[in-house]
Amino acid sequence: MAFESKHFKELYKKEFRNDQLRGNLKKATIQAVDKRGESFEEVDFPFLQDQAKKIKQESISHLNEYLSRYDDMAQKNGCNLFYAQSPDEAKSYVLEIARKFSARNIVKSKSMVTEEIELVPFLAKNGIDAVETDLGEYIVQLANEKPSHITTPAIHKSRKEIAELFHEKIGSELNSDPKFLTAEARKVLREKFLSGEVGISGANFLIAETGDAVIIENEGNARLSTSSVRAHIIVTGIEKVIPKFSDLRIFMRLLGRSSTGQKLTSYVSIIRGPRSNDEKDGPEEVHVVLLDNGRSGLLGTEYQDVLHCIRCGACLNVCPIYRNIGGHAYGSVYPGPIGSLVTPLYYGKGTAYDLPFASTLCGNCTEVCPVGIEIHHHLLSLRHEMISMKKSLMQSLIFRNYRMTMLRPKRYDLMGKIARLLSKTNLLNHFMKNWTAYRALPHSPGASFREIYRNKG
Amino acid sequence: MKDSREKIFAAIRHGLRGSEKITAARNNQSPLKKTLDGGFQSLFDEFQLELKKLGGEAVVFAKEEDASKFIMDHIGENVFVYDDVLSFHKRLIDNLRVSAKMSSDFGRGYDKREVAIFDSAISSCLACVAETGTVTIANDMRLPAALVTKLFIIAEPHLLIPSLDELFTDKNRNFKGSNLFLITGPSRTADIEKELVTGVHGPREVIVIFIDEKDR
Repeated sequence: MAFESKHFKELYKKEFRNDQLRGNLKKATIQAVDKRGESFEEVDFPFLQDQAKKIKQESISHLNEYLSRYDDMAQKNGCNLFYAQSPDEAKSYVLEIARKFSARNIVKSKSMVTEEIELVPFLAKNGIDAVETDLGEYIVQLANEKPSHITTPAIHKSRKEIAELFHEKIGSELNSDPKFLTAEARKVLREKFLSGEVGISGANFLIAETGDAVIIENEGNARLSTSSVRAHIIVTGIEKVIPKFSDLRIFMRLLGRSSTGQKLTSYVSIIRGPRSNDEKDGPEEVHVVLLDNGRSGLLGTEYQDVLHCIRCGACLNVCPIYRNIGGHAYGSVYPGPIGSLVTPLYYGKGTAYDLPFASTLCGNCTEVCPVGIEIHHHLLSLRHEMISMKKSLMQSLIFRNYRMTMLRPKRYDLMGKIARLLSKTNLLNHFMKNWTAYRALPHSPGASFREIYRNKG
Repeated sequence: MKDSREKIFAAIRHGLRGSEKITAARNNQSPLKKTLDGGFQSLFDEFQLELKKLGGEAVVFAKEEDASKFIMDHIGENVFVYDDVLSFHKRLIDNLRVSAKMSSDFGRGYDKREVAIFDSAISSCLACVAETGTVTIANDMRLPAALVTKLFIIAEPHLLIPSLDELFTDKNRNFKGSNLFLITGPSRTADIEKELVTGVHGPREVIVIFIDEKDR
């Protein structure tokens, strides 16, 4: 897995200076937040959030039992299950199935887990063309980029950039009307659906009680990727299992509203198994790849509830950091506040030292999270862990001095005087250049409050 | 694979050892702020309103002949009809029989290129949800319903339910075959600068027709 999160400090600077990107992000995220707010007016959000949190707590705290029950039921329904500890295991299995069906063309619908394991480049190396069929993912694939948002992968691209991309890559005329661009993509991708032998999707939920996989979407591409093929491969995480079919009444109301401000997404496919003998369409085989890849390592830790995430992307839209730097700056498939937790927690803290610091700790993320993950509290805890991992002498000296200053009034007065003197020179600006590069130091008064108080009294 | 399975389960058990097992106290109350109940007409009004907001259409006819006329006025040139519609509404598609192809005409399975030539499809449904303007379909319609540009759904009044609570309450009541497909309005995207465009891969038009023949 190629992570660039280690280079966050360089990446965010580049993205932050891109005015076009920041403009696109601002427009898109403000609209998403407004729509989310409107869509929750007709339902009791705290009630839904509380129920979803409790159901997820139950699912994860009994994960071995529910996963085992899902396994039994899915196999009874005729699905083939494969467990993968690592991305390599998952990719090899997908390749094996693709080869079994002599697949040269694979149609793929949006799935964060397949991004996580970098499935498409792997298949390409093995001579298989796997095309992304979600419009946003298709745009990103044509541009040879990675998604920059969990639910809106091409959020960073303007219509003009997309028109130029389509002109260059698929020979479309230069027309930046989204209707035209969408129709162009439909034309190209329809042919892919008709020639694809195997379809790959993710799953939003796996239901232990029934063995169903639930896939939600808006475009109809997931439906086609799972219906127009001989084999359907679902690649998903082990944490997606929920106990009951009836729990969908809670999650269906939350997911669409939180991600796109819809009461329900245009399509929900509930896949119970392959086509039966009396059915005229649907895949002959359904395979479910269940990936661990670091997830089980969160169980029993204070971060266990990070596994509750339903990947709605709501925390990204409200995050003041994400809104200014976009998804690519995080250097991970999972950007934004939840990505700043998932990336170091799944793949090792060394992979993403700076990400927990990419937050103002304003708490907007926690407030909108449909399953009540304490995102900003976790980010703060991770910061503590990161600091103790990589303690510098300078940091230790500064914080020791700060502690002693705050405990001794005389020392506090003295340090105040020194700071006021320094503020008259350029020394502080130089010393704090990383901070003052984007903001000015506050104006320093001539005397401290204590001094003014004493003189007046 | 067996090895990986066992290792993953062992890792899960190891992680969860000694940790608190939580059982959710599920509250069956509806999260909706307004009450959706009453007779067919009130539910239909809600269903129609929701579907209209999404760019779809819902109509109700008291006679099959009127519904048939409506379909003839709106349907495309190449029509696919799911046989199940016939079992309830034989007269409804008599007029269409000449040009339409029935799902039974395809023998054991569809060739997807043959199905792709249809621009319109007529299907029955398992349930309609007033809260969201959703219809649910299953069986042999997963491919035709996703490939056409115009999708007509024929519904009986008793299939109209108030909310998602009723839809998801019973794991089998609204489920038939290997899959269940919920359709809520036309296919849509806002992937390009958040501008809404309909008809991305699936139908651009979704029309739900209720036939409320009181004397049936």
